[in-house]
Amino acid sequence: MTLTNVFTKTTLDRWKGMAIGSATLALLFVFAMAVYRDIDLAVYTDLPEFFRSMVNISEDADVASLAYGAIYGSYGAMTLAGLTLAMGAASTAGEERKGTFGLLLANPKSRLGVLTSKTAAMVLLTAASSLVLWGTGLIAPEILNVSITGMHVGALMFHMFVLALFFGFMATAVGSWTGSPAAASGVAAGVMFISFIGAGLFPIIEGYENLAKVFPWYYFTGSQPVNNGIDWGHIGVLGAGIAVFSVLASVGLARRDLKSQTVGVSLVDRLRGNPITHKLADRLAGSARVSRIWVKTASEHQGLLLITGSVMFFMMGVMMGPMFSFIDESLADLLDQFPEVLLALFGGGDMSTPEGWYQLETFGMMAPISVMVVTLAIGAGGLAGEEERRTMGLLLANPVKRSTIVLQKTTAMVLYGFVVGFSIFAGVAIGSLLGGLGMDIGNIAATSLLVTLVGVAFGAFALMLSAATGRSKLAVYGTVGVALVTFVVNAFKDYSDALIGWAKWSPFYYYLTSDPLFNGMNWRHGAVLAGLAIALVALAIVLFNRRDLRQTG
Amino acid sequence: MTDQIAIRTEGLTKHYGDVKALVDLDAEIRSGEIFGFLGPNGAGKTTMIRTILDEIRPTSGTASIVGLDTHEHSVEIRKHIGYVPGDLALYPNLTGRDTITYFSNLRGGVDWSYVEALADRLDADLSRKVGDLSSGNRQKIGLIQAFMNRPEVLIMDEPSSGLDPLVQREFQAMMREVTANGSTVFLSSHTLSEVQRVADRVGIIRHGKLIALEAVSSLRSKGLRKVELFFDNSVDGAVFEAVDGVSDVAVQNHHVTLSFSGPMEALLNVVSGRYTLVDISTQEADLEEIFLTYYRDEEVPS
Repeated sequence: MTLTNVFTKTTLDRWKGMAIGSATLALLFVFAMAVYRDIDLAVYTDLPEFFRSMVNISEDADVASLAYGAIYGSYGAMTLAGLTLAMGAASTAGEERKGTFGLLLANPKSRLGVLTSKTAAMVLLTAASSLVLWGTGLIAPEILNVSITGMHVGALMFHMFVLALFFGFMATAVGSWTGSPAAASGVAAGVMFISFIGAGLFPIIEGYENLAKVFPWYYFTGSQPVNNGIDWGHIGVLGAGIAVFSVLASVGLARRDLKSQTVGVSLVDRLRGNPITHKLADRLAGSARVSRIWVKTASEHQGLLLITGSVMFFMMGVMMGPMFSFIDESLADLLDQFPEVLLALFGGGDMSTPEGWYQLETFGMMAPISVMVVTLAIGAGGLAGEEERRTMGLLLANPVKRSTIVLQKTTAMVLYGFVVGFSIFAGVAIGSLLGGLGMDIGNIAATSLLVTLVGVAFGAFALMLSAATGRSKLAVYGTVGVALVTFVVNAFKDYSDALIGWAKWSPFYYYLTSDPLFNGMNWRHGAVLAGLAIALVALAIVLFNRRDLRQTG
Repeated sequence: MTDQIAIRTEGLTKHYGDVKALVDLDAEIRSGEIFGFLGPNGAGKTTMIRTILDEIRPTSGTASIVGLDTHEHSVEIRKHIGYVPGDLALYPNLTGRDTITYFSNLRGGVDWSYVEALADRLDADLSRKVGDLSSGNRQKIGLIQAFMNRPEVLIMDEPSSGLDPLVQREFQAMMREVTANGSTVFLSSHTLSEVQRVADRVGIIRHGKLIALEAVSSLRSKGLRKVELFFDNSVDGAVFEAVDGVSDVAVQNHHVTLSFSGPMEALLNVVSGRYTLVDISTQEADLEEIFLTYYRDEEVPS
């Protein structure tokens, strides 16, 4: 009976996030298919192969496969896998972190039993989301009168489902061994991003095509399931991974001492404990880090900043430069054949130039995501997080205005947004130097500044939602939803007359529309983004001032 | 104790939709007193505290602390108060010292020798991370941050939860000392014994309404006690039943047990000269019985 309870509780706790995620994706899919339907399809006939493999598009690309590839093949799979791995990470590790695992195990219920129930809930919800997406994938073409003859939508969904489970089980296994949900989601999400990029990039590079097989993502898109149906060999590879992670999770959880609600020991803590490094470390981590609200807020997110900043600096910045010179020739023939509308989803860009390359690979999607990861974390968590952890009351017992708290949290958010923006700038500038691409430094700086402002504006939106509601999850989901919709509306603006007017309402319009990598800074666009951020912070102050603080934890 | 008012509420009311968490609360807490705020779980104690701290806003009515309106001058007020929230939550990643430093920075400085002295008295470990501390030891950090700036008014919501008896005693001594120096303590609790030990006056709240406000001495005399009397010879139960305030008399040879409310002198008077009392033990009735007594008297229409 307890099995049912843990299972149902976990399912009930988590179904909303899954439902919102899959509903958003389903909407985006219908939207994209509707847009693609109205576009001249002649340009799709000779898509470069690597690109097709990356986004899962069949050779005789048509409306349907474009929509499947662009929405489900990249965003969709990433979102579904992200939701699943979040559940996996929160599994037993989440209970340990909250200090509720001991209570749970005080019932006649084994560790393995709890793990099984939690995992079953994860599988069920992932399956349900996949079914929603599958259903949308079948119904949308009917409504929009788009032919899907010869398409294996079910096969695509099945691959996507198994891929999501792969990362979900990976997160569960890491969580079981470490008891840390942060480590679990960090590792699994990191592997997911790297594998997405690896599976897309290596097929371009001659002689290294087989390296793509190292990455789990390859077994999702590699066989082009939407075109060729289910590839049981590839499913088998992912399945074997899932089996290994299950065993690892069970063994790891069974043999380990459970944590009570303790706090991990970080490197800085060790340095503080060491008499030689004590003074320096204490200055860094001790009194300095609690000197002000914004410094403390910033220090809480330094791990996230370090990871995001270095990924953007090394992988998306420095490495991309030499890579462009490396693949330059093989790309040259294919450049003219790219369907711009598809590239638009990844930020667009003329791939024959280094600027276009960087725009497509780094600035189009990854750069705004990376800045937003940091600004959203602080914006959504800064106010609502303190309320949810019940520390806001204590904070406000000090002679500090509510507006001061909002402004201090904003300071931390803006600072971190700019640090990520600067790592993007530095990475791309160095990458351009290393690859001998000769890009204009000022233009790189301008684009980095604009992407920072986009990220800060969305961070301010999250802050506003968090100030208004005191609920960090709502702030995150709400902001991500608005960001997705405004991103797609802007990406498709050149291809749909109906969207041109709407696109100006999208913050992304003020990011790449002026082609800052070629034309340098557009101060008017920068001012719009900065003005938006300022207005949202002002609104946050007003809303936070008016509201009763939440009591529940 | 002076006649100045440290905390005053007038018609303070807070509704959450249909739920009436506070109803027309009028109270005055005098400067220099320890005021015990008693009530069962969910009675409205925490709502009252959160309202006067401007965490939540009253549906109607007003409140003031040290003469300042709690909403209009909330920031100014916070310079004069110390606060221990119920179900205290701190930042698990910070050590006790970091936590104190953080709050002292927000306040604009603190006397560290006083902090160290408080930590010594409470036997608090400031070097460990708060998240690694037991709930009692975490509570000590909460107490230190409330006392550290020598506030004029201390507002504490169930502050002694998790503290061992020795530390509780030290904490009670600390409360008496600060009130002796002119500070005011507003102590919310559901532990009658603690309130009885330290408080000068108590307010009892139920269903959001203040149903009693009186001196501890009078509450104590009202309080039910269980009395056990041992004699050197057999006694007659009727003798005790005749005393005003006595009920539930049970006699077993030399041993009498009874419930009693009223001044103890009345009971001892009937005994002395009649029987030889060998031993007496009295036990205060638990809070529930006291509450029941009050609730019988003052039924609150729901």
